Amino acid sequence: MKDKTFSRNLWISWLGVLIVLLAWQMITSLQLINPSIFPSPYQVAQAAFERVSLTELMEHVRASLTRVIFGFAIGAGIGIFVGVVSGWYRWLGKIVWTPIELLRPIPPLAWISLALIWFGLGESSKIFIIFLAAFFPVVTNAYKGMLSIDPDLLRVGQTMGLQGLRLLWKIALPASLPDIATGIRVGWSLSFGSLVAAEMLAAKTGLGYMIMNAREQGEISIIVYGILLIGLLNLLTDNLIYRFILKHQLKWHFSTQPSS
Amino acid sequence: MKRSTTPSSDRLTRRWTILAWPDWVIGIASVVALLLLWELAVRLELLSARSFPMPSKLAQTLWTLVTVGFPRGITAWVHVQATVLRILKGYIVGVTLAIPIGLIIGRSTMLEQMARPVITFARSVATISLLPLAVAWFGVGELTRVFLITYAVFWVVLTSVIDGVKQVDPNYIRAAQILGTSPSQIFTRVVLPASLPRIFAGMKVALGLAFLVIVAVEMIGTIEGLGALIQEARTFYRSDASMVGMFFMALFGFALAKGLDLLEKLLLPWATGLEEVER
Repeated sequence: MKDKTFSRNLWISWLGVLIVLLAWQMITSLQLINPSIFPSPYQVAQAAFERVSLTELMEHVRASLTRVIFGFAIGAGIGIFVGVVSGWYRWLGKIVWTPIELLRPIPPLAWISLALIWFGLGESSKIFIIFLAAFFPVVTNAYKGMLSIDPDLLRVGQTMGLQGLRLLWKIALPASLPDIATGIRVGWSLSFGSLVAAEMLAAKTGLGYMIMNAREQGEISIIVYGILLIGLLNLLTDNLIYRFILKHQLKWHFSTQPSS
Repeated sequence: MKRSTTPSSDRLTRRWTILAWPDWVIGIASVVALLLLWELAVRLELLSARSFPMPSKLAQTLWTLVTVGFPRGITAWVHVQATVLRILKGYIVGVTLAIPIGLIIGRSTMLEQMARPVITFARSVATISLLPLAVAWFGVGELTRVFLITYAVFWVVLTSVIDGVKQVDPNYIRAAQILGTSPSQIFTRVVLPASLPRIFAGMKVALGLAFLVIVAVEMIGTIEGLGALIQEARTFYRSDASMVGMFFMALFGFALAKGLDLLEKLLLPWATGLEEVER
């Protein structure tokens, strides 16, 4: 019964995608919009096969993914550490939190001029931007998670003889994991968006560069192809992270699920 | 961020008298200490003055930006105004489109299922990656900038409207039907108010997103706006101007977040306890 409705839903969902694609093709085929600035799905697919070789594409995808994973890992890692430690030791939290709160509203991309002055045109300036994009959401949510732990949980832990770092590791950290997970997902999508922008402004490889390069050569089909690829990659990786979190989080939290 | 004290902080309060100070005093003290350290590090030449201009230099630059402008003639006020206007235009268009469409999609399960994958994908598309396409369509002008902000805002608000409508308690609707409310009144009197808190949460996220997008979009083809200011600073290798531009962004972003919180409290007094964690 459940399977049947599921497959029916899936079918309807694909129907929606199909309708959009058909409408898109129709609009361009009927010349309602100039196809040279608004290519049809067919044109895009053709350009993708003919003008971008698989090795070239893989090179861009690899460059983008390496950057974003590297920057994200550093940002999320330091974010979790700072958030958890400053949430655990209240005096530390009071000292570090105001500076973080002041820097937080600055969009990651606004750092790009400084990043280029500090790190030059190389990889590190882009990784720095992605680091910032991941760091702020993760640190905020980790801190919030630590502050909203049910005090009873900690008291129970203490009654059981847990103290200091063991209390942090066994009780506080697992209890704040749902918030950390939220921070990680927000941070990932922000990292991804910032990556594309950083690559468009200053890079010689990557998907952001690919579409910027296509723009200079006036190949709109390649631009559309690149946009779709970036969207797909974002969707895919976000889904992987979501599933990973769901799978591992269920060990501690049977009732709560991370918001989708 | 109020909370009940945890055992660990009870223990620490006794040992660390610093915790007895009010939060804002500690906050200001730590920021001032950081600025002093920074100033000192540059003066002792531990940090290069070119890459990390000292706070005293930044204050000077800030003053120049307000009085003379950077680039010359374009003052801080012009930059802030340009950015705010662009965000507002794109934001208003995006929200006005998203709310009616979302209400329609959200009321029909079939439509919702058909639209779901398309919306999810459109949301995953990095708004900034649309820039070259938008330039090809609308040229390097205001229309491109407003279009990109509209795009970013539209999909986020649309999702929150659909979710909001779907999560209206069916009992409310049944109760209204029993009381003889007409279908159109059910829509305006029951469904819309009940889904407003969620819509508002989505609108908050969308405003943050618009703020993110505008920076990138202003880096191309204009010299007015906070993003343009930062881009100019890069061209002239002026880290001090860039930092002052970022200072204005932080100020603006902070004011925006606080203003929206206030607005939500005023407009939606019935929306308590719904907090969106996304930014």
